[in-house]
Amino acid sequence: MIQLILFLALGVGLLVLLFFLARRTESRAEGGAQALVQARQALNSLQTGLLPAGLVERVFAQDDWGFVSSKAGAGVQRLFLRERKRIALSWVAQVRRQVLSLKDFHSGQSRFYARLDVRTEIGLALSFASLLILCRVLQATFYVRGPYAAPRMVGFAITAAAKVCTVFERSLAFLPRTPAEVLRPNSPGPHVAA
Amino acid sequence: MAATLKRMDVQRAAEDLRRRTLGGIPRALDRFIYLASTRDYNTGLYYHDGLASQFSADVACEALANCHRETFHELIAAPVKELVDQMQGYMASSQSRPQDFVAVWKGLEPYRVAVPVETDPFSAEFLFSNFKVALAIVEERLQKSPRSIQGA
Repeated sequence: MIQLILFLALGVGLLVLLFFLARRTESRAEGGAQALVQARQALNSLQTGLLPAGLVERVFAQDDWGFVSSKAGAGVQRLFLRERKRIALSWVAQVRRQVLSLKDFHSGQSRFYARLDVRTEIGLALSFASLLILCRVLQATFYVRGPYAAPRMVGFAITAAAKVCTVFERSLAFLPRTPAEVLRPNSPGPHVAA
Repeated sequence: MAATLKRMDVQRAAEDLRRRTLGGIPRALDRFIYLASTRDYNTGLYYHDGLASQFSADVACEALANCHRETFHELIAAPVKELVDQMQGYMASSQSRPQDFVAVWKGLEPYRVAVPVETDPFSAEFLFSNFKVALAIVEERLQKSPRSIQGA
């Protein structure tokens, strides 16, 4: 009886494995141009739009709240807190979306373009996982306690995201930074590895 | 080679623009609105007569675009307090009544069409949010003491 249960469990396990293997989308190098462009865009968006220290410091700067709370009435104070909370939530959602986009590219396409050693691969996987969890925690914190509740966590998220960006910057170094660069006469242009 | 020469021309044109035209506009908000107004709504290209005749229309366009981006980043980096001061100054220098100015800026949000092309959406959203708060503070001050604002 025990043997039968074991065989049945093994059979079910194999079926589940087959199901997941069948569901996996096949990655093709020749169909990866779109994925490459998306990855480059995600990287650019993180590096130039979401992670610059000056911008993030400004978004989470306490001095703005200090000014509004001392110089404005209750209505404007409420408006400010509502706006800053919306901006903080939008920031973390966009960071998460771009990181997810990089993660998808990495798990689906990057092996065609970059050879990463096992240590870097493991490090990257851990960074992705911790960053995505951190983003969720930040979203919940901002939602419940407002934009100024977790300044240290914001710092951790920026550091982790910057690490991921550095690895990807190396992997995607052969791609131009912006679409406009492709059109410039002296631009090296994209030369995808064969 | 031609691209390098053009880049140098753009830098020289931008320097010229900063020194002459923009040098006379001390507030970043005024420079921002002015630079946005030199852009054609339909083509997205910037135009400046003086610069175009001194360099070329193409070089002038890039120089204006660079200065516009610079000013945008200056505003992004500004605290709300500074934005309030700049908005009051801009409002006082405009020909419109403060009440009308606030009503139009609240209703039409003209700053939304003043951002440079290819601006990161998050940065733009952050600036709009700060403008909204700054405008609310200006409006509140206006309701409390209209005269002090008009004289700003």
